[in-house]
Amino acid sequence: MSNHDTHSAEHHHDAIAEIKKVTIILSVLTIIELILGFWMIGMESQGLRLAVKGAIVILMMAKAFYIVAYFMHLKHEVKNLIMTIVVPLALFIWFIAAFLSDGNSFRNLRNTYDPHFKEQSTIKVQEKHEGGSEKHEEKSHEEK
Amino acid sequence: MSNVTTASSEAKWWGGGKSPFDVEYGKVMMWYFLMSDAFTFGAFLISYGTVRFSTNGWPDPNKVFKSFPFAPEGVNAPLVFVSIMTFILIVSSVTMVLAVHAGKMMDKKGVVRNMIWTIIGGIAFLSCQAWEWNHLHHEGAWWGVNPFMNADGTASSTNFTNFFFTITGFHGFHVFSGVVINIIMLIMTLMNKFEERGHYLMIEKAGLYWHFVDLVWVFVFTCFYLL
Amino acid sequence: MSHEATLHGHELHEHHDTFLTKYVFSQDHKMIAKQFLITGMVWAVLGGLMSVLFRLQLGYPDASFPWLESILGKWAKGGQITPEAYYALVTTHGTVLVFFVLTAGLSGTFANFLIPLQVGARDMASPFMNMLSYWFFLAASVVMLSSMFVETGPFSGGWTAYPPLSALGDASPGSKTGMDLWIIAMALFVVSSLLGGLNYIATILNMRTKGMSMTRLPLTIWALFFTAVLGVLSFPVLLSGLILLIFDRNFGTSFYLSDIFVNGVGALSNEGGSAILYQHLFWFLGHPEVYIILLPAMGMVSEIMSINSRKPIFGYMAMLGSLFAIAALAFLVWAHHMFVTGLNPFLGSIFVLLTLLIAVPSAIKVFNWLTTLWRGNIRFTPAMLFAIGFVSLFISGGLTGIWLGNAALDIHLHDTYFVIAHFHIVMGVASMFGMFAGVYHWFPKMYGRYLNNSLGYIHFWVTMAGAYLIFWPMHYEGLAGMPRRYFDFSIWESFKQFAELNRFISTVSMIVFAVQILFLINFFYSIFKGRKVTTTNPWEANTLEWTTPINPGHGNWPGEIPEVHRWAYDYGKDGKDFIPQDVPVGADESSH
Repeated sequence: MSNHDTHSAEHHHDAIAEIKKVTIILSVLTIIELILGFWMIGMESQGLRLAVKGAIVILMMAKAFYIVAYFMHLKHEVKNLIMTIVVPLALFIWFIAAFLSDGNSFRNLRNTYDPHFKEQSTIKVQEKHEGGSEKHEEKSHEEK
Repeated sequence: MSNVTTASSEAKWWGGGKSPFDVEYGKVMMWYFLMSDAFTFGAFLISYGTVRFSTNGWPDPNKVFKSFPFAPEGVNAPLVFVSIMTFILIVSSVTMVLAVHAGKMMDKKGVVRNMIWTIIGGIAFLSCQAWEWNHLHHEGAWWGVNPFMNADGTASSTNFTNFFFTITGFHGFHVFSGVVINIIMLIMTLMNKFEERGHYLMIEKAGLYWHFVDLVWVFVFTCFYLL
Repeated sequence: MSHEATLHGHELHEHHDTFLTKYVFSQDHKMIAKQFLITGMVWAVLGGLMSVLFRLQLGYPDASFPWLESILGKWAKGGQITPEAYYALVTTHGTVLVFFVLTAGLSGTFANFLIPLQVGARDMASPFMNMLSYWFFLAASVVMLSSMFVETGPFSGGWTAYPPLSALGDASPGSKTGMDLWIIAMALFVVSSLLGGLNYIATILNMRTKGMSMTRLPLTIWALFFTAVLGVLSFPVLLSGLILLIFDRNFGTSFYLSDIFVNGVGALSNEGGSAILYQHLFWFLGHPEVYIILLPAMGMVSEIMSINSRKPIFGYMAMLGSLFAIAALAFLVWAHHMFVTGLNPFLGSIFVLLTLLIAVPSAIKVFNWLTTLWRGNIRFTPAMLFAIGFVSLFISGGLTGIWLGNAALDIHLHDTYFVIAHFHIVMGVASMFGMFAGVYHWFPKMYGRYLNNSLGYIHFWVTMAGAYLIFWPMHYEGLAGMPRRYFDFSIWESFKQFAELNRFISTVSMIVFAVQILFLINFFYSIFKGRKVTTTNPWEANTLEWTTPINPGHGNWPGEIPEVHRWAYDYGKDGKDFIPQDVPVGADESSH
């Protein structure tokens, strides 16, 4: 640290300030996520649940952006490098959309044409799971 | 063997004779390795999503992950422990950035201090994960065994635990290898390897890997504990 | 696998080479390329031999060959291949040819050999990782080979390894140890391809010599670049799929399994999984894999065609654009392999649309190759013939691809011999032709000697005619509904009409295999005894590899690395037959 001129010292301060800023942003985003998570506990309305889940996904993407852009320094790299990283990641859009929509379609198919599957997913289990950890510990060991 | 860095700086980015990205080849490789790894994790998480979408019911994570170490029996504290884990990883990521930054400033002491904190953070995270796995295992959860029921009270398929252990296990394996890499980097720093080379680029590459591990946790955390 | 007598006349940089560092643990990209090539050739022979064996069964289902039993033992009881052995043969044939020959053997060889030479680098970005890449490949090879010698035989559920055959150990004999070894081999293979791919990308981006801008790169390099990107992004998805498969096999999970009823056992305990998930994951790799196989061949064919037509490649930027388009589309169309698996029909229609889009860049490439040939001063070297043969096969196979890309037609044609014919022509044989073209063309650079031309012509014409004679009739069989992967068709009345045809196909396939042996003889004879290359630039080509000494040492150029001043395709420009890339641009000519 001895022989650095004022310019690099300034850069040093900027960088530290940026790290501090991003740390705070990430913490705040995580805390908002957790608040939303707590809010969801016991939430009855399915529509609202879905909306909250959407909000959590958006917050997740924002966190990912801050980590990649600032911690991994991508934002300060040459534009060419940014493009070669970001463009292939766009493949994930179709990757996710196709897989999940086909998963959903597979559930509909099975509910329509697979009575065994339908039956399996309507069997209610006893409330005994609610009681605490010891009980189903025994149960699962019996199963084994 | 390298002929990269000597070319004149006025050549165009893509003109040859220098890196179009203004980084050395190792960093290009690390970025592309991380892309590749992103697809590995992406495939896991998307598989998880696909199976979840093709299943009628799914357990409520708040009823599964609701304990923490030294907690009294039957405690109901969802999200508490995992938020601690998340903050541990974020903090270790921050110390890693600081280590990388210190490396750029050729500040050996700063690198050593922050690397030690990063390693401690990594080990702490792994310990938390070990505790959680152990706890779930005692509750009867394992690959192929799922003691939890769906949120709507129906019987759950084993895929909840299957995916949980596989994906957090694979992530934990990455954290573990990240810790090993960081320890190697720390030893190399202490042996003055990077001072001799005149740059701390290896720390930067290890840093990229460590942040990627943190990044994956952002997704794993959201997918398993929140959604 | 050793090739001791390769002629390294001048060792420029390393004077203390022992046998081990020079031929075995070499970090010289040229030696690693040769290791890939020869390992790939060993696999090609084995894979080809397997196809001959199962063609023997398909052509002569009733005949008995006592010599088979003496070779294969219990796998050919009474001189006839057993059904289990037949399935093992087709499975291993597919896996080996797709991954070990046409991926590692093709892009492993030529990416290693050509990238540093053509971009003007002394070696790969990381020679050590490059060496590791080969050793992981060899390890994968050894594991795959060893799976053929286990008690229950190699995996026999098709090269795609769909569950439940691959997930349930009791599903078939090959699903036991054979499948475990298959998974291990493929995992090692993924590591190898990742190590190689990262190296290729970093080398092409970072190690180009001065003046070698991206648009001056030969098309070979562009093709290998996109190949590497495809591999780096798609192989990890297969790895994830295989890891889940391992858990299903060994740890009681049911990612891919649910609702399976077994006669006499009842429902298996697996719940909630989805076999379609595996197919999605597999084909997310599997479709880019097709282009991983095809793109290097396309690149080399472009290069060889331009050189031997003495004309610039027609539409360089269009070629680049179509390479990029193919690479991008490769990731978007995987589910067209799954039209009949219970895929959401609406989703299927999107996949149809995206699939048919591939025809556009493919057609651009084909027209550009044909226009490159148009009014060229063509030199019919064996390499050129194979390049032209590649284009022919690519057209014939590509057109049937448009049929199969339509979901409505595919429902009839799926899993018939039509599909076999399609992908063998467009991907298998065509890429093989690209590989042959590359070997004939760059053999002088690899070994400092020429391959024998007369044998090359025989090799080409018999293979070319054979490829069409084998696979063309299969279209008719497929249209008639003859399903693939069946052991014996003789019991179906409707397929009796094809008994004669099947025998014909089998006979031709044996002739074609014999001619490949001729090529091998030519190859190994020429390494030691071939006509020596006397000039550094025997094909009068423009690219940088021909500016190195005839037998370049480790480091490629004895002096400075040449600087590049023009693109690679200045043929017939300003009355000059060719102007190499390192020649400075004259005052009176327009620069490229």
